Amino acid sequence: MANAELKLAPTAPVSFEQEYAIGKFLSMEARVLDEERYPEWLELLTEDIRYQMPVAISTYRRARQGSTTLKPLFIIDDGFPGLKQRADREATGLVWLNDPATRHLRIITNIEVETTDTPNEFLVRSKFMIFRGRRDKDIASHAGWREDILRQTPQGWRIARRVVHLIERVVIDKNLNMFF
Amino acid sequence: MKKFNYQELVDSEQALQKRSIFWEPAIYEEELKQIFNRCWLFLGHESQLPQPGDFIRTYMGEDDVIVVRGKDKVIRAFLNACTHRGNKVCQAEGGNTRSFTCSYHGWSFNTEGELAGVPLEKEIYDNLPRERFGLVPVARLESYKGLLFGCFSESAPSLIEYLGDIAWYIDVVTDSAEGGLEVVGAPYKTEIPGNWKLPVENAIGDGYHVAWAHAGAMSVVGAIGSGRSDNVLGITANNMGVDQSGAVEIVMNTHTVLTTLDGQSGYALYDHPEPVLAHLEKNRPRVIEKLGELRGRQLYGSETHIGVFPNVQIIQGLNFIRIIHPKGPGKFEVWTYAMCERGMPDATKEIIHDHVRQTFGPAGLLEGDDGDFVEAITHSAAGYATRQMQGFLGMGMGRKAPWDGPGEASPGLVNEACQRGFYDQWRRTMEADNAYEVIGQTAPVAPVTAVVKELRHG
Ligand code: FES
Ligand SMILES: [Fe+2]
Repeated sequence: MANAELKLAPTAPVSFEQEYAIGKFLSMEARVLDEERYPEWLELLTEDIRYQMPVAISTYRRARQGSTTLKPLFIIDDGFPGLKQRADREATGLVWLNDPATRHLRIITNIEVETTDTPNEFLVRSKFMIFRGRRDKDIASHAGWREDILRQTPQGWRIARRVVHLIERVVIDKNLNMFF
Repeated sequence: MKKFNYQELVDSEQALQKRSIFWEPAIYEEELKQIFNRCWLFLGHESQLPQPGDFIRTYMGEDDVIVVRGKDKVIRAFLNACTHRGNKVCQAEGGNTRSFTCSYHGWSFNTEGELAGVPLEKEIYDNLPRERFGLVPVARLESYKGLLFGCFSESAPSLIEYLGDIAWYIDVVTDSAEGGLEVVGAPYKTEIPGNWKLPVENAIGDGYHVAWAHAGAMSVVGAIGSGRSDNVLGITANNMGVDQSGAVEIVMNTHTVLTTLDGQSGYALYDHPEPVLAHLEKNRPRVIEKLGELRGRQLYGSETHIGVFPNVQIIQGLNFIRIIHPKGPGKFEVWTYAMCERGMPDATKEIIHDHVRQTFGPAGLLEGDDGDFVEAITHSAAGYATRQMQGFLGMGMGRKAPWDGPGEASPGLVNEACQRGFYDQWRRTMEADNAYEVIGQTAPVAPVTAVVKELRHG
């Protein structure tokens, strides 16, 4: 399921410092989202970001997907404007589902870093679990893995690409209105 | 002998629905029998099965069903249940295959449903009558202009009789499409903790909730978000006012339609509607020629929600087909298929596809709001006192709008006419003694000989 564009062979070893900094960056990013600081989260993205979540179609290993002229199915396939639109919606104060406030918790782990052909960009793989608790006992959780391209800029680390893979086919939740 | 007092459950005169219909397991069991085992149910679209061996899995009620195009190019539907002991013979959601092989003891069935292989057959059976052990076919399978429907009742009316007047509206989607209708190969699937009827009547008729329940999304998407307009579908930003003049809710005997009649507002929520609107205008003369002025000018391009009872909505504008699969009284799966005209330029198709994902996919900006109240309406009926309450759908009752097409029209899309129509049809279907009464007709005097119509494609 890995995205072909992201299958890049390591070009050089990653320094201990860089790997440590990337791990810290991803923990900080998760906390910014847990704390619903969406405008600040948007600042962690590059202007040219592509953020995707493909659907995990359940076909047989041997079988091709039934033919269609349309492109593969994504749950999310956003550039910066699309992500900003989602963030703006959260900030309207008009999303009734989030009032009383939703409690968010993200666990990011199994972080692996590789260099890419672009010197200041790194391929970063991670696993996640994300939990939302609302109201009395409206608890939802999702697990999966991510493939990111992180870019080192003068302003700090930025997310230039993210592909989010969920393990579930049928989404068992009232919505996926959250950032992964 | 009716199992329940349906007059008490759905009071059409006063537009009241008792909330036990969303909760009682016994009522749900009766729905599986009276509704899902007798009505025509949407299975998919022929464009999903172009090649021999192409198959999809879906549900009819809670029955797991395989729809497959055989080597002979005929599309058939079967229960996904092994005739040996009942294991599923297919666990994939779709694809292409030569056979379906059961994972329990390895019986295998070809794409025509015949039992084609039994491991160790010669050693363990004496003359196993293979012909008796083919997959169980869904009794009826018919296509309306590419839309595939199945029905478990041998004695039900034909699909075209069942659709009745709604076919006139479906034609706007199927016949106007340049090069025919095209449905994306796989749907979005989400499981929501609510009763299946609530998302159905929400989608076919609840214009009232749009500006309020979706207030957050409405202030960032489409015309309002981009500042092109401060009202969408006649509803002013922040729910400050409503213009009911340009839209109608139409109720037929069995099915319903909500439409805005302006020929373009289907695209009001799009961030980039221009290429789609340009395509509509380019194609419109052809549609007018084919379907006449009323449908060509007023329906084609309008936000139009076609509700085919019980559980499929064909939604022009938002451009998706949506099926609600019941999963017990307190749960359902919603499946959403993007649809577009095959002859549209690829870039235009992409805009439509992007919009479906962005608005009503599982992470859609609007989709996420509805699950919450659907859950609350369903699950708070666990309380005995709450369950005695009735929902009220009296909006627009008695108001009529002039309308030259089939069905009775009531003005405005902030109206509950379609939802009343849905519950009236629910009651009619639950009370019906036979599958003909479901469509408000008595059965033919002579018993109908079941004809399993097969679809041939050359
Ligand atoms: S149950 Fe399918 S082969 Fe036995
Ligand atoms: Fe809604």
